[in-house]
Amino acid sequence: MALLELSALTRDFGGLRAVSDLWLEVREGEILGLIGPNGAGKTTVFNLVTGFVRPSAGEARLDGRPLTGLKPHQVVRRGVARTFQIVKPFPHLTALENVSLAALVRTGSRGAAAAEAERRLAEVGLSARREAPASELTLSDQKRLEIARALATGPRLLLLDEPMGGLNPREVEQACGLVQRIRDSGVTVVLVEHVMRAIMRISQRVVVMRQGKKIADGPPQAVVADPAVMAAYFGKRAT
Amino acid sequence: MRRLLPAAAALLLFALPLLTSNQFLLHLGVSVLLWTTLGVAWNLLGGYAGQVSFGHAAFFGAGAYTTMILYLSRGVSPWWGMLAGGAVGAALALPIGLTCFRLRGPYFSLATLAVAEIVRLVALNWESLTAGPVGLLITALPRVTLLGRDLNWERKEPFFAIAAAIAVGAMLAARWVSRSRLGGSLLAIREDEDAAEAIGIDTTRAKVAALMASAFLAGVAGGFYGLYYRYVDPDAVFPISLSVEMVFIAVVGGLRTVAGPVVGAVFLATVAELFRDRFTVGHLIFYGLFMMIVIRWLPEGIWGRALRLLPSRREP
Repeated sequence: MALLELSALTRDFGGLRAVSDLWLEVREGEILGLIGPNGAGKTTVFNLVTGFVRPSAGEARLDGRPLTGLKPHQVVRRGVARTFQIVKPFPHLTALENVSLAALVRTGSRGAAAAEAERRLAEVGLSARREAPASELTLSDQKRLEIARALATGPRLLLLDEPMGGLNPREVEQACGLVQRIRDSGVTVVLVEHVMRAIMRISQRVVVMRQGKKIADGPPQAVVADPAVMAAYFGKRAT
Repeated sequence: MRRLLPAAAALLLFALPLLTSNQFLLHLGVSVLLWTTLGVAWNLLGGYAGQVSFGHAAFFGAGAYTTMILYLSRGVSPWWGMLAGGAVGAALALPIGLTCFRLRGPYFSLATLAVAEIVRLVALNWESLTAGPVGLLITALPRVTLLGRDLNWERKEPFFAIAAAIAVGAMLAARWVSRSRLGGSLLAIREDEDAAEAIGIDTTRAKVAALMASAFLAGVAGGFYGLYYRYVDPDAVFPISLSVEMVFIAVVGGLRTVAGPVVGAVFLATVAELFRDRFTVGHLIFYGLFMMIVIRWLPEGIWGRALRLLPSRREP
């Protein structure tokens, strides 16, 4: 059975249908790439799944139980964590405090939360910066910090919103390795990303959205060769 | 050293009435302690959780009226009356929190300002309960015992002791909250509310809890005010200026510090005494001026800056 199922998920913002009748299954243990031109509705899908935005119609289910109608903090407790496209660290707190607060929601004791936070910082390679205020980290480090913070909530499904946007090629390489290690540790990953090289390399499956609709769903190589996808990105070839 | 300092300060505080019997000085002391309590109360929500309220006079006034009404109509001892004042403040905070916290940032602040005005107008017009603009006056003094002795209503010493106990209790409560799990949630909310939700914090619940705790302390302070002055009316306990004074004390003293409000309250009392006689409402201008100076050049407040300059261990 699919871990996450979206059925007929729809969201209108005024006259704009940001997400339109979206059906999608995310299987346990995969890395699913979600791509599409700007404004295709990818971030809105994340907001709908995590409870930050309510759907106009349709619903999202985790393990067959509805997520729709839950508040964001309830969705997290069900095991779905996310990062934000525009990073939202706790700016005045250190890296360690950032992650500890997330761990505290599950563990209850400060000592156990700090230990869990140390492990997560090590996992994303930020241990050396543990005492630095989050606002003083580089963008690359802030993105990794958000991933560590999301992992500290103990998710089964991790939604990453452009974790590689704005990173240099070397940092993209590192981020690819990190996402694969996260999947190997048993966390299913949905990845919204524009860095195609990364998507092609690490996703098992790619879903393409355009104007709120799903226009392709399949293995990366097949999807990029799809004429509909080519048209979405480059326009139709003049004949 | 840092552990002994608060204990020494508390000891000095309780010994003060033994050192002086100057009634004016003790009256100033009572004012400072009352303001301290209000600053601590406001800080719980405005400092730790970053939710700026401009309407805390509503909880203070509700506490003051509760204590007065319970004594005048039911003969309830002011001791219990003060606690009931806190409870009514907290109860009032629940619906206010659930509605106003649907808004964020400046919109929340404006909503609290509006709600406080509504509460003031209700108190002004609900004459059967509050006697409206006439106010409530204690004429027959209740027999109150303090540490086994009858309280002497004509002396300031017992009131100083009560105010000191309330202020110290409020500071201990703030310290406890700031180190609790709720304190962690409030910290996350202050830093980024969306991110706080995204790591599993029920932000609405945490904010309402902080508001209710804050309103309880403000309500107890209001109850004490009624008892001390033996008179309340809507203009005395529900004015906007009181809400602003609470902001002033917390901001000038130091947001998110336990002892900052003491410094803020001393500062406020000094400014008030220096300027009140010379200009009728001129002291309000100086509040605003000092607030601007602090926000521009001393954003962590006087006590917040002092803590940074003292050699200290970093809090985890």
